[in-house]
Amino acid sequence: MRKKTQLSYIARMVNVVNYIQQNLDNELTLEELAQQANFSSYHFHRIFSGMLGESVKELIRRLRLERAAVQLRTSTASILDIALAAGYESDMAFSRAFKSRSGVQPSKFRKSEQASFPCLSISSVRYVTNEHISSFDPFTDEELNMNVTIKQVNDTLVAYVSHQGPYKDCGHAWDTLCTALAPEGLLGGDAKMIGVSYDDPDVVAPDLLRYEACISVDEVFSTTDEIAFKAITGGRYAVTTHIGPYEKLNETYQKFLGQWLSQSEHESADRPCFEIYLNDPESTEPEELITDIYLPLKELRNE
Amino acid sequence: MNKVDLFKLHKADYIAPKKPQICYVANAHYLAIDGVGGPAEDNFNDAVAALYAIAYTVKMTRKKHNLGDYVICKLEARYWSINEECLSKQDKSKWHWQLMIRTPSQVEISDIKQAAMALTTKGKTNSVNKVKLIEYEFSHCIQMLHVGSYEEENRTIEQMQAFATAHQLTATGEHCEIYISDPRRIPPERLKTILRMPVQSSSVVKNIASINKLTE
Repeated sequence: MRKKTQLSYIARMVNVVNYIQQNLDNELTLEELAQQANFSSYHFHRIFSGMLGESVKELIRRLRLERAAVQLRTSTASILDIALAAGYESDMAFSRAFKSRSGVQPSKFRKSEQASFPCLSISSVRYVTNEHISSFDPFTDEELNMNVTIKQVNDTLVAYVSHQGPYKDCGHAWDTLCTALAPEGLLGGDAKMIGVSYDDPDVVAPDLLRYEACISVDEVFSTTDEIAFKAITGGRYAVTTHIGPYEKLNETYQKFLGQWLSQSEHESADRPCFEIYLNDPESTEPEELITDIYLPLKELRNE
Repeated sequence: MNKVDLFKLHKADYIAPKKPQICYVANAHYLAIDGVGGPAEDNFNDAVAALYAIAYTVKMTRKKHNLGDYVICKLEARYWSINEECLSKQDKSKWHWQLMIRTPSQVEISDIKQAAMALTTKGKTNSVNKVKLIEYEFSHCIQMLHVGSYEEENRTIEQMQAFATAHQLTATGEHCEIYISDPRRIPPERLKTILRMPVQSSSVVKNIASINKLTE
């Protein structure tokens, strides 16, 4: 069962990689790539970089360089043209990038029959001409030490404040939310502190990161315009615990989606993850902060 | 805006040495709630929840009204026995306790009453009405960090008792703890707790030379 799903994750990712190869000169969006293999765009990039060991951007840059190497050997195009085709603005910048990866200047590489093709990555995905990639070895940690439990979660009504910008600056959203809820007697008891991070900071610019600070409530009430209400959709969730500073949450996300999920028998649903904070970051040492990460899963189908 | 952090501001009160050390904790303000029974029993957990609910409600309500912001301090607890028997010899169900959270002196009784009313209206635990504002002076104490489960505190307490005996200090019989770690998730062997053993001040004054000699 487990092996079968991993194979299907690989097969789906192969579609994505081939699509990238066929469209090396186009600007590809993550949504477009996610669609190629029916991945949720919320989680696609983390699954991708977890399995491939590099980001989409890095893969594209590398494949273009590998293609440039082939062109240097087999075509008569000028180095500048090859550089431009590889996405560089000048042959200088191209030379620098090419040399740092392969050890020789493009001009030397072109002349020397002995210079071997640059081995640009440890990933098994390489640039190929006129053919498709049919499979690859996913990039996996040898020991994936991850405690994950599957939970059934109810719909949760929350009051929330949106934040856009670096995740570490979300404090003001929390202040707005907490100062509005405190006088209402809504802090304490079962009230959960929930964070929804919509974007992967590895691919989205810090200023564009979207976040929602949420506190669970029993019912909607009238309050200031800054506070909105919504239900966080319940269902099946995979849950893992991150212990340590919030700055390192992304590492756990990366491992959770990129490694655990693609090796599991589960499929992520097309909704963002959320986090539940179990202690107060003001009075807790960063190393002792506890955060549960909830990854939404598709419902099991009876086959 | 400057955020007051009493725990850091009064570092000397919260020293957590690996060996017993003497310290003096002056009068301070605390939110507090009293009860009887073993820690981890339902009424104890309910009291912890009530205390925190009041603490955060008061803090954020004051912040809303621009009355200053502060960090919620670590949970502290005092344990004693009514017949002054040694706590370890008495059944846990008869332990008296007071849970405390140190609070800036600007916080007023009206803040707490208001918070309790808001919380009760929203159906939170009724125990919020038992939370009070107190001033308390621990005075002279022997203090030490305990790393490990709460059940294993005895080995640390024994070291503190030996320290008291060596310096002819008389313990008051109370046992106090300051909880550094979150017991919900931190594994027991990694739990950090500051243990505090209040001693009679007269015995400290009398034996000050012996104590100083040791700390030199």
